[in-house]
Amino acid sequence: MELTDADLIARVLVDEDQHAFGELVRRYQSAVRGLLRQLTRTDLALADDLSQETFVRAYKHIRSFRGEARFSTWLYRIAYNCFREDARRRKELVGVDESQWQSEIDPHSVDAGLRHDLMHALNLLPLHERSAVLLCCQQGLSHDEASRVLEIPLGTVKTNVLRGREKLKRTLAAWGSN
Amino acid sequence: MDEILIDDPLDRQLREAVPYIDDDGFTARVVASLPAPGRRKVSLRSVILVSIALLGSALAYVLSDSGRVVSENVARLATLPPLWLLIGAFAAGALAVTGGLLAALSRTRDPFSLS
Repeated sequence: MELTDADLIARVLVDEDQHAFGELVRRYQSAVRGLLRQLTRTDLALADDLSQETFVRAYKHIRSFRGEARFSTWLYRIAYNCFREDARRRKELVGVDESQWQSEIDPHSVDAGLRHDLMHALNLLPLHERSAVLLCCQQGLSHDEASRVLEIPLGTVKTNVLRGREKLKRTLAAWGSN
Repeated sequence: MDEILIDDPLDRQLREAVPYIDDDGFTARVVASLPAPGRRKVSLRSVILVSIALLGSALAYVLSDSGRVVSENVARLATLPPLWLLIGAFAAGALAVTGGLLAALSRTRDPFSLS
């Protein structure tokens, strides 16, 4: 029988069992690396460095995981913190501004191979909208969970998701209409 | 606006656009970079608290003439009316609970706590 996340976490807490933690990493590496790849705009090396940092931090602070949220949600929060800290260090926290976005969605300025490419459209969103859309629409978090991960009010998450989705639809429609 | 509908085509496209990422040695790299398991660090705070408690106990023992004052006052307490004893016990309990609650509330919240 496969051990639950709670069983594995208990083993890490009681015995400092690194194999048990390894199993948790195996379970969530795809989700965490996927999220960070999206946040870093598919910079694979950076995303994997941040993913590794995320899991190491999770291991060091696992005592503070109270089990009141899903383990994956807790990991997403650490991952988002890692990403934000790194972006601050690099001073590239913001995404594309409104005027840039308008020019990017111009069908004539987009490579034909990238048209209809949802991921490319997603990468054009400003960070606050992109992260909300990623967590709620792609990773399946509730608005409440996303607001805890992103540390922003629930209403702001809802607004960001709504705006992000609208922009995505408009971008895809603009590319598709050509 | 409430939660996003699960069957929304855009959401479905978004979910399908992210394939499963093969581990490809990632887990091994993470496990290799974990701090080695070992003795848990004793925090400076707990060392200070225990030292102060021990010092206070030693001082109280010396100042109370090897505990004679304490035993005399305990004997005097025994002569008090039961109601006073009850009130004293209740007050001491309330003080301890209040102290415990204040200590619990003042604990620094962990940055990764999602509660």
